[in-house]
Amino acid sequence: MTHAQLHPAFRTGVIFGVVVIFLMLIGFATTAAQLLGALLGNMTFPLVNLLFLLGLVGLWGGAMGVRSAEAAISAPQAAPAAKTDTANAALVCGLMTGGMTGLLVAGLVFVVSILHARGANIRACLYALSPETIQLLSLGLPPAAAALAHLGLQLLSGIAGALLGRAVSLRGDHWQRRLSASRQLVRRRLASSASQPKIAHVWANRRLRRPLLCCSGLALVLLLPLVLGQYWNYNLGTIGIYVVLGLGLNVVVGLAGLLDLGYVAFFAIGAYTMALLTAPEPHHLQWSFWIALPIAVCLAALTGVLLGIPVLRLRGDYLAIVTLGFGEIIGILSRSDMLAPFSGGPLGVRGIAGPTLLGRTFSSQRDFLYLIVLSVLLTIFVTSRLRNSRVGRAWLAMADDETVSRAMGLNTLKYKLLAFGIGAAFAGLGGALFAARNQFTGPEDQTLMVSINVLALIIVGGTGSVPGIIIGALVLKGLPEMLRPLENYRLLAFGALLVVMIIWKPTGLWPPAKRRLESREVAEAFSDAEITTTEDKLKQ
Amino acid sequence: MLDRPPELPALSRTRRLNIYRVIRSGLGALLVAYVAWRLYEVLVVKAEYGPDTWLRFAISGLVLGSVYSLIAIGYTLVYGILRMINFAHGDVMMLGAFGGYFVLEALSAIPVASEVNPPLTFLNAHPILAVILAFACGMSIAALSGFFLERIVYHPLRRAPRLAPLIGAIGASVFLENAAQLLFGPQRRDYNNPFLLLRGAGWLIPVGTGVRLTYTGVLTFVLSLILMLGLYLLVYHTRLGCAMRAVAEDKQTAALMGIDVDHVISLTFVISGALAGAAGVMWGLHNGLVYYLIGFVPGLKAFTAAVLGGIGNVPGTLFGGLLLGTIESVGPAALGIDFQLKDVIAFLILILVLLFRPAGLLGEVSTEETL
Amino acid sequence: MKTRSWLDLLLMLVVTLAACTSGNVPEVCSRDKFGCAVIEPDTTIKIGMGGPMTGGSANFGIDISQGAQIAIADAGEFQGFRFELVAEDDEGTPEGGAAVANRFVMDKSIVAVAGHIMSGPTDAAMPIYEKAGIPMMSPAATNIELTKKGSAVFNRVAFTDAMQARFAAEYLYHKLGIRDLALIHDSTAYGSGIAEEVRKDFEALGGKIVGFEAITRGEADYSAPLVKIAAAKPQALYFGGSVQEGVILVNQMKITGLEGVIFFGDDGTFGSDFLTRTGVNGEGAYSTSFTLPESDRKTRFDAAYEKTYGIPPGKLSPFTWNGYDSTAPLILAIKSVAIIGGDGKLYIPRGALVTSVRNTRDYQGVTGTITCSPVGECSAAQPTFYVIQGGKWVEAPK
Repeated sequence: MTHAQLHPAFRTGVIFGVVVIFLMLIGFATTAAQLLGALLGNMTFPLVNLLFLLGLVGLWGGAMGVRSAEAAISAPQAAPAAKTDTANAALVCGLMTGGMTGLLVAGLVFVVSILHARGANIRACLYALSPETIQLLSLGLPPAAAALAHLGLQLLSGIAGALLGRAVSLRGDHWQRRLSASRQLVRRRLASSASQPKIAHVWANRRLRRPLLCCSGLALVLLLPLVLGQYWNYNLGTIGIYVVLGLGLNVVVGLAGLLDLGYVAFFAIGAYTMALLTAPEPHHLQWSFWIALPIAVCLAALTGVLLGIPVLRLRGDYLAIVTLGFGEIIGILSRSDMLAPFSGGPLGVRGIAGPTLLGRTFSSQRDFLYLIVLSVLLTIFVTSRLRNSRVGRAWLAMADDETVSRAMGLNTLKYKLLAFGIGAAFAGLGGALFAARNQFTGPEDQTLMVSINVLALIIVGGTGSVPGIIIGALVLKGLPEMLRPLENYRLLAFGALLVVMIIWKPTGLWPPAKRRLESREVAEAFSDAEITTTEDKLKQ
Repeated sequence: MLDRPPELPALSRTRRLNIYRVIRSGLGALLVAYVAWRLYEVLVVKAEYGPDTWLRFAISGLVLGSVYSLIAIGYTLVYGILRMINFAHGDVMMLGAFGGYFVLEALSAIPVASEVNPPLTFLNAHPILAVILAFACGMSIAALSGFFLERIVYHPLRRAPRLAPLIGAIGASVFLENAAQLLFGPQRRDYNNPFLLLRGAGWLIPVGTGVRLTYTGVLTFVLSLILMLGLYLLVYHTRLGCAMRAVAEDKQTAALMGIDVDHVISLTFVISGALAGAAGVMWGLHNGLVYYLIGFVPGLKAFTAAVLGGIGNVPGTLFGGLLLGTIESVGPAALGIDFQLKDVIAFLILILVLLFRPAGLLGEVSTEETL
Repeated sequence: MKTRSWLDLLLMLVVTLAACTSGNVPEVCSRDKFGCAVIEPDTTIKIGMGGPMTGGSANFGIDISQGAQIAIADAGEFQGFRFELVAEDDEGTPEGGAAVANRFVMDKSIVAVAGHIMSGPTDAAMPIYEKAGIPMMSPAATNIELTKKGSAVFNRVAFTDAMQARFAAEYLYHKLGIRDLALIHDSTAYGSGIAEEVRKDFEALGGKIVGFEAITRGEADYSAPLVKIAAAKPQALYFGGSVQEGVILVNQMKITGLEGVIFFGDDGTFGSDFLTRTGVNGEGAYSTSFTLPESDRKTRFDAAYEKTYGIPPGKLSPFTWNGYDSTAPLILAIKSVAIIGGDGKLYIPRGALVTSVRNTRDYQGVTGTITCSPVGECSAAQPTFYVIQGGKWVEAPK
């Protein structure tokens, strides 16, 4: 057993141990046990569920330990013989991983139980460790026994996981080869054969694939609101508004490469304009929604341009901070006493009018959802036209290398202002729709978290791609709604997700087609196609 | 390294830019006129504040400013070396504050046998030792957090496009804040100061109705100066500092020269974290308030302070912090506007400085054109 | 002919079956405007609560929901059915309030809502509950406008700022003899609303307002606005806001030249947290509360809360008792209108429940006697003012 093999296993064990301790300390272990119980229907045995979960974690830890050990030793060589081909090696790895995790967890449980038994008020320090939680974590046993139990559990599951991991990796290679061989076979078959069913042809034909997807998506989106209830229509509406916001910010961040952290400022301007123009208080202007909407959008765009003039010459990081500051300024102003007679102050503005069509007010979430869907489609249309135009190409050039584009004669300031203004316009649209739907808006709606949410949306989904942004909105706004039992951990998961996504998949879950093209197809082109030279091409 | 400014206003080359320059200058002139008018109104026309009031404003501003400086030196260090805004710096400070809090709580629960009634606790029997222990614990926890932050979040993103570390930092910041809320609870906690250093106790200056100069305020100010000096000495008079400056100048060349770049960067984050931890404990001792969100807004303000003084520039950071604190305290009163709007003033100053003097007030203007 | 007779038989069967099953469903359900909520056997009767569970105001949401849980525990079983509290995070924003409301409305076993906690989300959620016929009993939404909108479902045990402000202004002017008053508020709907009311009432009584400042929540140093107020030499300082900021203000009053000035806080500043965190600086500070000074019910509640959660009530927020008193009347109303059907299910006519909650009369809660006015103001008790003497809250002389 070499040190090179043991060290990764040791490290994996420590990492898993620390993570499990953290989850226990924030009360997630008990929540997860209860959730599992609710899923399986055995609410009265949280202990069993907890043990089960801990065992699963140990299993995973063991498998990861073995894999990291293998990775460590097989990195330079590709020979399969260098793997842990003795069960003993895997066993020792598993023992190490499980042992480390077990020691850490057991240590925590031991210390906490002893302190609790002595009567210390642990909850004053660590909020989640109530007596019931401590009871559960120590498995109902006295401190020493509980610690040993945890250690034993982790050791056993670690070993099991290691053996499992080794089995999978040994067979996995074999399966991997068979899978890729069959995939190649299918591909060749499809490419060469002429007599294929129409559907396969259509699917294989990439140019037809996109319109097909778009049409089916459209049909879904138009028919769905009729079927879903009030609650889901409301959620889909929120997701839709965030898609509009995401597309707008995408113009600024994804296309023009300017990091804007104060996006909420334009959102606020759109929302407040709609509110102040249509609500009975405080100005007694009760204009129609349809008049107020374009005014809100234009005002937001104007603010974007005005903000941009002094600010857009700054470098990336500074621009981010300055826009952040501007967003905060708008938030402070909306709460201030000074502007209270104008904007309603901390109380906000209520009684915002909804849109009316042919005399009928939009009263249900379904009507609003149609309006939002329409806005989303409009936004998609505008942004994609922009992207494929001269303006869009100018933005791409600027985002790639600003010095070079300026050297080529591009008036970067003008294009930056355009991007900023258009992004702000879409934010204003989103804000106006938001205010009209809630019939109420106030300073609490204009927080930094809105900007961060929208930014995270486009990062997680994929900067610059429309389906990516839709996915991002679904994940970041729709998922928390569905995972309500875990909502205390929502923001924690949000932060972790942001970090994980940016490290693991910086181009997002669904990157724009261009980038995928660059990475995968280029690799393919160089691997199995022949490289034709320019001369050959000319000869043909 | 730390005195290399990042920005310079570009020379206008085409006529088209002139419109923007006109607008900018016009707005600037308007602003100056407005400020002058308000100052005149408040100082000459109404003149409702006596010298004791102004002195109080000034003291409050200087103390606030020194807290900002303490937090800002950590920012400056990281930015100077990595050209990266460590968004999570404020949260590292928060963790340091919690570390100090728990130490003081623990020490105040240990009784020390004595004849005094009520019985003395360790905290009050050995106050200086207790405070030193609190600082040590806070700084270590913060330094460790800084180290792991770098390892987990920033190290993998070193070759990524420039947006990525910033977003990673934002994610880390959100994570740390919520982890602190879930671990320690949403309640606000108060620092248990030893009797020697009670908040609100201090020397009385006989001006007007008596102006109080608090012990904790003076301690904050002095500590900022000491830490600044320490950092300055570190960066300019030690081998490690030399290595840091080399890495800041050019990573690849430094690596070629035999400097372990990863090691230096890790150490930078550790030191920056330790400084943040000291700032956090000081925050707790002076302001008393500790909860999971204390890092956010002060972090932002500290960054403003660093930029104001000249980011990457140690004396500049101190100066910037003090100036910002003073403007925040004295400004609203001097301009006759609400105190709610002091953050507006702070951010406006940030924007103005970045527009007209991006190198900061004490930074050196270089001829480098940066985009 | 044969098909005909089969059809007749089928028809008779269907009608008979319908008659049989409908005999299980109480008649009120078909007459009720909103129909009945049906609770299956072995499931719980759910009461919803929307409040900020994350973010800067998380302490309010968590504290009030914990108080409500004690009420649920006290309710025990009703006809074999247990109660359950569904507390969800509305983030303190109107967006969150509407989202939570839509979700509650979707769950048919939620029959009432003890919420929401903040005024903004409550305002956004009200029309949604109105349409679904779900009664509300808010523990802490104090904005005056909320009961002026003609809602049939909205009620609250929280006290309007208008009433509290009027009593506070009168106490300051007549009892404490203050003529020069300065005000600070924390820029929230609650704090600024009440400070504004106190200002108006105090000026109407003939007093002079020498300063009106606003601070931002969450900061740690308010010495600058305090210094400015000190320059105007007030006799008392009224604060509209919560414990967190109130504590900092009191602690900084001495060093900013406000020594000897009386601090007067609203009901958001009352609680044991204020005592412990101001210590010596807090001597002589006033605060407001609507909780009964002492009673059996309160003592029992305090003990139960401390035992379950390990911290005393009033530590996380001053509205812990309101959490109990918002949920208990709802439970009482449910118990009074629910009917057990012949099939063992529990039928709760929603419209009748709305009316019953609105008609709550003389319920003895931990904060006092709860009787709902026709517009949904359910608390008629007058505020009690407290002053810190010797490190304890003592009832201020009337």
